[in-house]
Amino acid sequence: MEVKVRIDGVDHKAQAQLMKGTLWVHVNGRTFTMDSGTGQKSRKKAGAGGSSDTVSAPMPGKVTKLLVQSGTAVKVGQAVLVMEAMKMEYTLKCEIDGTIDSISCAVGDQVALGKALVKIKPSAEK
Amino acid sequence: MTKMPGKFSRIAIANRGEVAVRIIKACEELGIETVLLHSEADINSRAYRMATKTICIGPAPTAESYLSIPANVNGALAAGAQAIHPGFGFLSENADFAEAVEKAGMTFIGPSAESIRSLGDKVHCKELAKKAGLPLVPGYQGENQEVAHLIQQAEKIGYPVIVKAAAGGGGRGMKLITNSADAAELIESAQREAQSAFGSPKVFLEKYLDRAKHIEFQIFGDSSGQVIHFFDRECSVQRRHQKIIEEATSPSLTDDLRRRMGEAACAIATVGKYKGAGTVEFLLQDGEFYLLEVNTRLQVEHPVTEEVMGVDLVKMQILTAQGDFIHDPKQVRIPRGHSIECRIYAENPFMGGVPSTGLLGHVEWPEGPGRRYEYGFDQGDVITPFYDPMIAKVIVWDENRPRAIQKMIRVLKDSVVFGVHTNIPYLIEILSHKEFVMGTMTTRFIETYFAEALKEPALSETEKKIAEGALLQLRGGGASEAAMATSPWSSFWRGI
Repeated sequence: MEVKVRIDGVDHKAQAQLMKGTLWVHVNGRTFTMDSGTGQKSRKKAGAGGSSDTVSAPMPGKVTKLLVQSGTAVKVGQAVLVMEAMKMEYTLKCEIDGTIDSISCAVGDQVALGKALVKIKPSAEK
Repeated sequence: MTKMPGKFSRIAIANRGEVAVRIIKACEELGIETVLLHSEADINSRAYRMATKTICIGPAPTAESYLSIPANVNGALAAGAQAIHPGFGFLSENADFAEAVEKAGMTFIGPSAESIRSLGDKVHCKELAKKAGLPLVPGYQGENQEVAHLIQQAEKIGYPVIVKAAAGGGGRGMKLITNSADAAELIESAQREAQSAFGSPKVFLEKYLDRAKHIEFQIFGDSSGQVIHFFDRECSVQRRHQKIIEEATSPSLTDDLRRRMGEAACAIATVGKYKGAGTVEFLLQDGEFYLLEVNTRLQVEHPVTEEVMGVDLVKMQILTAQGDFIHDPKQVRIPRGHSIECRIYAENPFMGGVPSTGLLGHVEWPEGPGRRYEYGFDQGDVITPFYDPMIAKVIVWDENRPRAIQKMIRVLKDSVVFGVHTNIPYLIEILSHKEFVMGTMTTRFIETYFAEALKEPALSETEKKIAEGALLQLRGGGASEAAMATSPWSSFWRGI
């Protein structure tokens, strides 16, 4: 809905909507979101950052190919699995050197945003 | 031996999203009823609400619905349609589909199955072009699809090499190989994407031109078989070989190049006995042009041509299929002004463009002179992960290119989409980039200047206060002074 917010005597018109705990605001040609519970700018959803020993789904989609198995030694930047969403393929890569600890998805699985897909045991030496 | 179909009273649409809406509008103007052949996932969409009739042809996965020839043909027959419009993507360039539609006694709105086979298959098209004397990019178009053989061919052509889906278009099943180490993985990936998007894993290879512009000609073959062109579009702004911004006409063509390329486009279309709307794509580098491919269908970016030429390509397609569209020789066809289209993708530009799905909240496409919106979803509809992320197209027209760019930036800033993230901030950055403004961009423009995810600018103090005030009002707090000391939220904004 359209809102009018007065700041220092000046009215600012904006579009705003609360959806599932996220506040959407459009003002002055820009759209941004905020977490309405914390008042913080919406965190990047899990999966974007994720912890570096975990490869998680950066979007909802389907797992189309697993390139590693449990126990496979991997290097930074190595492709570990392929996902498909909205008709495009996305290759997910690991961020650390190590060995594959566990795989919690299978080819053909429809996975949710942020789901942990592959866990990597970091190499012993730092 | 084609029978004269006569006037249609009901047309089935084998597509979804904004293009289905576009076709419904054309049919409505012609007084023709529509039947939307949709998947289970698409009941929350504008096309579903606008069509005269709707028939569910299968579940969400494309292979079981939008890519299923029997499901589409049977759906159209059951609804009593006399013709099927395939839109773009899905089965629009599938000769078997065109044939199945005709066999079932209906009319396929598009070129004949024979034309699709000779021109639409990227491999056959190149053979035809060779005969017609059109310049081609060096490559491999053989039948041997074994990965090892394809790698061998790629080495022979010399990297960088591009691998493409033979049956494809729209950037799917297309990968750039820069060295032999990645070749196998990329070729296999292209084959899988090709299979998933077009139902055929066949690919071919091409030398990658590294500073080319993508320029295409809109061609149209009328009911009598006469092919003319409706000038050019430039679509050099591409990411992962998918177009993002298109314009008509190209800022890069000299009169001489425009004439020669237009003639070449009509020549190959005429050899291919082309009927209806099609596009001949070229790469232009160092003043030389090469045939890229022919798209035997309506193109996503057709509106920019419609804007500068003052035509309605979708209505022309329908009338041509009915057997009553002949090019008017007295009509002088000269492009007027400049038109730009931006594709609105449901994705997060601040996270490298990962798809964004979910329930659409408030949506606003502000009206104004020279603005046109093609969109498939309204507030309350759901953007699902099953299909292409393009949810809308914004098209502007103005008297010249600088003004059209200026208008587009304003229009994008005024457009509101809540519920899913969109590439609008990304589009605004591109439109403001010096190279785009000068019109000198090549197909490597995005990878050169926009390889990294956009950096999200921090919120200003004013924006934070507006958000705070908005939240209070949405929660029933009424109009308020945002900076009230008693605000329960004020503490949250500190130290962000």
